[in-house]
Amino acid sequence: MKRIVVDPVTRIEGHLRVELKIDEATGKVEDALSSGTAWRGIELILKDRDPRDAWAFVQRICGVCTTVHALASLRSVEDALGIEIPKNANYMRNIMNATQTAQDHLVHFYHLHALDWVSPVEALKADPAATAALQNTVLEKYALPLSGPMDFNFDAYPKDFPKATTAYYKAVQGKVKQIVESGQLGIFAAHWWDHPDYQLLPPEVHLMAVGHYLNMLDRQRELVGSHVVFGGKNPHPHYIVGGMPCSISMNDMNAPVNSERLAVVDQSIMLAINLVNYFYLPDLLAIGHMYVQKGYVDGGGLAKERVLGYGDFPDEPYTGIANGDFHKKLLLRSNGVVENFGKGLSAAVYHDLTGKDYADPAILAEGVEHSWYNYPQAGKDLHPFEGVTAQNYTGPKEGTKTEWKYLDESGKYSWLKTPKWKGKMAEVGPLARYIIVYTKVKKGVIQPTWAEKMVVDQIEAVSKVLGLPPEVWLPTMVGRTAVRGLEAQLNAYINKYFFDKLIKNIRAGDTAVANTVKWEPASWAKAAKGVGLHEAPRGALGHWVVIKDGKIDNYQAIVPTTWNGCPRDSKAGYGAYEASMIDTKVKVADKPLEILKTIHSFDPCIACATHLYDAEGKEVGVVHTDPYFKV
Amino acid sequence: MEHSDSMWALFQKRGVSRRSFLKTCAVVTGMLGLSPAMLPKVVAAAEKKTLPPVIWLHGHECTGCDEAFIRSQSPLASDVVLNMISLEYSDTLSASAGEAFEHHLKDLMKKYAGQYILAVEGGVPLADNGIHCMTGGRTFLAALKEAAAGAAAIIEYGSCAAWGGIQAAKPNPTKSVSVSDVISGKPIVKVPGCPPIPEVMTAVVMHFALFGQLPPLDAQGRPKQFYGNRIHDTCYRRPFFDSGMFVEKFDDAGAKAGWCLYKVGCRGPVAYNSCGNMRWWNGLSYPIQSGAPCFACGSNNFWDNGPFFERLPDLPVPGTIADADKVGMVAAGAALVGVVAHGALSAMQKSKQAKQQDTDVRGPEA
Repeated sequence: MKRIVVDPVTRIEGHLRVELKIDEATGKVEDALSSGTAWRGIELILKDRDPRDAWAFVQRICGVCTTVHALASLRSVEDALGIEIPKNANYMRNIMNATQTAQDHLVHFYHLHALDWVSPVEALKADPAATAALQNTVLEKYALPLSGPMDFNFDAYPKDFPKATTAYYKAVQGKVKQIVESGQLGIFAAHWWDHPDYQLLPPEVHLMAVGHYLNMLDRQRELVGSHVVFGGKNPHPHYIVGGMPCSISMNDMNAPVNSERLAVVDQSIMLAINLVNYFYLPDLLAIGHMYVQKGYVDGGGLAKERVLGYGDFPDEPYTGIANGDFHKKLLLRSNGVVENFGKGLSAAVYHDLTGKDYADPAILAEGVEHSWYNYPQAGKDLHPFEGVTAQNYTGPKEGTKTEWKYLDESGKYSWLKTPKWKGKMAEVGPLARYIIVYTKVKKGVIQPTWAEKMVVDQIEAVSKVLGLPPEVWLPTMVGRTAVRGLEAQLNAYINKYFFDKLIKNIRAGDTAVANTVKWEPASWAKAAKGVGLHEAPRGALGHWVVIKDGKIDNYQAIVPTTWNGCPRDSKAGYGAYEASMIDTKVKVADKPLEILKTIHSFDPCIACATHLYDAEGKEVGVVHTDPYFKV
Repeated sequence: MEHSDSMWALFQKRGVSRRSFLKTCAVVTGMLGLSPAMLPKVVAAAEKKTLPPVIWLHGHECTGCDEAFIRSQSPLASDVVLNMISLEYSDTLSASAGEAFEHHLKDLMKKYAGQYILAVEGGVPLADNGIHCMTGGRTFLAALKEAAAGAAAIIEYGSCAAWGGIQAAKPNPTKSVSVSDVISGKPIVKVPGCPPIPEVMTAVVMHFALFGQLPPLDAQGRPKQFYGNRIHDTCYRRPFFDSGMFVEKFDDAGAKAGWCLYKVGCRGPVAYNSCGNMRWWNGLSYPIQSGAPCFACGSNNFWDNGPFFERLPDLPVPGTIADADKVGMVAAGAALVGVVAHGALSAMQKSKQAKQQDTDVRGPEA
């Protein structure tokens, strides 16, 4: 039995450590822990601030998931204050949300995940002519020709295809060769390139993927047009409570949004469609198929047992979230919990999760049994509206508080709390959303919207390519990764759908982007509570705000990576990261590349996941030192 | 292999033509804000200077600065990372992880002692000896001190590294500070912003790679070429400020017309940054152009200078005038009209709002 530590886990957001107990003889992971090793206390910083500023603060929880916390925050504050935003603002926010998801997923696949699968060293062995031929085959065989509705399609022809020429791949290979020979590997340095898993794919796949790694690194920046036009920048575009700041006018030369600006957004949206359809999905399915054919269907973990989602993309403005209207308006009803999908569709059980459930402590709560916090009543989990946090950093099992050897899996070992649904663990993310929507449609719980139908069509198309039923390939490491690509395609079209709705609405004469009736704090109730829900790229995201006398009294977020990366619980068992690591076979104990693949399949975002909650009216014991007033 | 390649040598090694090399030098010259006459000097520098390796550490941050970095257009991040510098250690982009990665860091610090650039993203939490940010099983504080010791220069990327950032906002639960609050005796350049403009981030590295020294800095340690002016001074909406034409509330007639955002909280008069002149996405937009008041996200402690949507309060930023009305007057050459005319023009605006906007947009039949 060997204990292996991977810290830092790279190509993620934030600071993550994993520890594994591996049986070297069998490669079986006997136990695994994941620990979020940083904590910033943003929610505490929010206390007593202006609720209209909250989105900007919480947006900085994460710059990879930029916009997601802003959106959840705006929704929570608007829910609390009873603000319904104008149609255009709803469309613009949906566009920014879909833009984020498509772009984030693409960057994740190529720049955060690909190097677990493909290697520049293997690419050197490839034949450029064979790679060009392979590229053609991949485009033919693995394209997924599904699409969403398009009212205005000005894209004369698809502008972006992978280059399938010998000369191109020769050039890419030449570059890689020079980098490798120079001995200066830069970002490729010091990795386990000799790991046997890199032999699973032919060299030509490696060369093709490395070429696309570089190509997409240059192109990804062009996908965020909507953020820059509607929000002024990316990362961290701007919003306002009540809608958007970017007024629309076709009569004013200095208007933030006019025909020319809309053309920029449209072009960026169309580019995302092309990059996802011609690069991301074919590459992903080709690699995934090879892995599945070689029997790699592990790493599913908790996804087989329980997944959770909140739903997103309000088709039209809604009056509130807690009152249930939000869930009546959604284009993508991934809200709910599905249990036992791993046993097949007929065994799977669906549980609803709508409006009032989000304020119910019996349904959603967080525990701290293995987190570096204390609760007043040990063992009693708390809903975000009522949570309490007092830091209780206990250090590692072996080592010192500032120099760790091994963390203490039997005690406290992470800055992440442990969120639960009805006292149980659940996995969130693209895979969870797909399992939920698929189950709901197939079981007749919902009549599908076009987007929900596309989810089902995508799953069925991939099942056909792989020759496996959904319950076999979906809840696996490969499935989790594949669904992220499917979702990028879905979001690329959702983006276009809402852009078309925006155009049609402006055409009808509506140019409003902000509802400022309740802008002034004087117009607010003395006390208000709100829930903000959002399906972020990494999964279900909830913000809970309590406003008193025009100020934030409490703020709490339960974020996707907290659900997935949380520490274990003696009653509820393992969270998704830990469960999936235990469900993964490791070939070389001290080079656990398979574990990197599995962890990366969740697209971790640790800065999001670690947070602090301040009890109502209770001072949290922190030493206040202001570094700024140095004279 | 020792890192003694010039940029030109590297270009040759990677099979890039002399023409491309010269083109890159021309782009860099423009990017560094140098006159075209400086091109020969840039070329000479690029032919001679060695390229330093870069170690990029992450403290208390959100990775938004990394994301901004890879949004750079001129130069593209791929060119920077693979052809201009040697990005040897980066939590975000490096393939390697865990022990092998940490070994590599130690080797680098030994091999290139005194030669590498240390880029830091994020604030440094000091509470309880730094346990609120652990990396590789030790505190970020310890990792930072160790890496800083052998650095030729340090770049503080983003407002967290430069000032402490959002986690340092009151009550600063983790006692977070800037990198330069912890490290001294090293050349340090501050590149603040939340996040900074992508091309500003890449340009700072390029400047060092080309000229072997940090760009000229202002009193606060920021590159003058990017932080020498206020947003207010480079704002295309400035004439509206000077004429007293203001957005009174979001989405009013003034907002549609693109008037000055100062009354809905714009911090342009106290924000030193390049958004007004460079803009984001290669000149496409910046918050003000999208109708959003500037937060002064590159300023020290901007988080505690809210609420953001309230008209500019007294900002404890050295070297600026606290009273916004006075700032306006001074900046406009004491054009009192800029402030006095608010009332009259606001009244005009109201009448404009009263008129139903006629937006006759033509498109193809839906």
